[in-house]
Amino acid sequence: MLEKRDVLEQQTPLRQKKLIVSHAPFFHSGRTVTERSYHTMLAALPALLLGFYYYGMPAFGVVCLSISTAILWELVVNLVTKRTITIGDGNAAWLGMLFGMLVPATMPWWAVITGTFIVIVIGKQIFGGIGSNAFHPVALALAMMMLSWRSLFDFDAALLNYDLEFATIYPLAAVKYFGAASLDAFSLLDLLMGKQLGGIGSAFGLGLLIGGIYLMLRGFIRWEISLTFLAGIFATAFVFNLFDPARFAPPAFHLLTGYTLIGAFFLATEDSSSPVNFVPMLIYGAAGGMMTVLIRNIGAWVDGVILAILVINLISPLLDKIRPQALGKVE
Amino acid sequence: MFSKKELKLAGALAVCLLVIGVISYAAFPLQAPPEPLRLMFNVAAGNVLFNHKIHAAVSGYGLSCGDCHHTLSEDEYADAQSCSECHELDEGDEEMPKRADAFHLQCINCHKDFEAGPIECTGCHAL
Repeated sequence: MLEKRDVLEQQTPLRQKKLIVSHAPFFHSGRTVTERSYHTMLAALPALLLGFYYYGMPAFGVVCLSISTAILWELVVNLVTKRTITIGDGNAAWLGMLFGMLVPATMPWWAVITGTFIVIVIGKQIFGGIGSNAFHPVALALAMMMLSWRSLFDFDAALLNYDLEFATIYPLAAVKYFGAASLDAFSLLDLLMGKQLGGIGSAFGLGLLIGGIYLMLRGFIRWEISLTFLAGIFATAFVFNLFDPARFAPPAFHLLTGYTLIGAFFLATEDSSSPVNFVPMLIYGAAGGMMTVLIRNIGAWVDGVILAILVINLISPLLDKIRPQALGKVE
Repeated sequence: MFSKKELKLAGALAVCLLVIGVISYAAFPLQAPPEPLRLMFNVAAGNVLFNHKIHAAVSGYGLSCGDCHHTLSEDEYADAQSCSECHELDEGDEEMPKRADAFHLQCINCHKDFEAGPIECTGCHAL
């Protein structure tokens, strides 16, 4: 039984023995996860629209199926695990859309459904849902799909039946297998304007740049990660190109091809799999860019963005150990 | 946790896009053009991407069908078939070279004759 004095001390903070320091009350900014998801989808839309223009209804079908099945997979997991229905936050829709943007327009329906299953169930929900995933769910799904069905991601083979107005060879494959001499077929302006083979929504450089800048200005993604990712790619590709210009493409080419821009703005910046402190963010982004070019230039894969992002996701918790020293000291 | 409006929006997206997606796959499959644009030959020595259109088009190299599909007369060009209909992948002899030999002879000799196009392995094979 408590003494009268103890009860008084509990009820009246002024009589506490130690002064307790706490932060000020929280203030809600009004932003919600839902708003963030749909704004991110909006930012990605310009790049996607050009994909629909070039690849037509098959591309539209892939993205529609991808978004819808991602939402449905999330609903299924919510119902099976008897947890709160979380499809309302729009995150599943966004992840489905992102998956659809990265794959070729000829992706079979069963591969889309399998892909969104990996994205939602294995990449996100198994870890505990939004905010708990160690890896970007879409990068994880794409890596698993690429390892399982490599031919589905061979853009040259997948898009054979498209008659397009530009060089119909995947730029990264051309430079990897036929050297820098094959670069004559591509102009930087064409690459920026999306005149290149690639994923449905990952080839339109200008569209992705506009979307990325919008997200950075709105504070939905961190500029530190995106910019250092691009800087890492530029610097590493520059060194390779300096070493052997006949074999390795110049840095500007690497910036505008493959998954570079969609990786920098939409993959590397995912919250739960990226660091939160300033210096770690810089290292994280730069390491991702460096890994990307290393895989592209001397690795077995044509594009290295997906695998590089998984590697930096892996080191993200370690990087966050680098943090500002706390003020004051404990006696 | 989420408002009814948010849940309705997600539900509507899932249902509508599923219907559109299924219809797109079922009703608008990508049709292969009657004359191939590009061909991908999957071979152990590295895949070869062959641009059929640029070889055949007048604005490209302007080859006649019979230049490669050598058994056909002009009135049979529309019936041109895949090379592997005759040139088998594994077996061959002097009269009917296997597919790899037929391609190497055809491509490399033509490139040499016109002094254009690759004649080395790594010029065509993605190694």
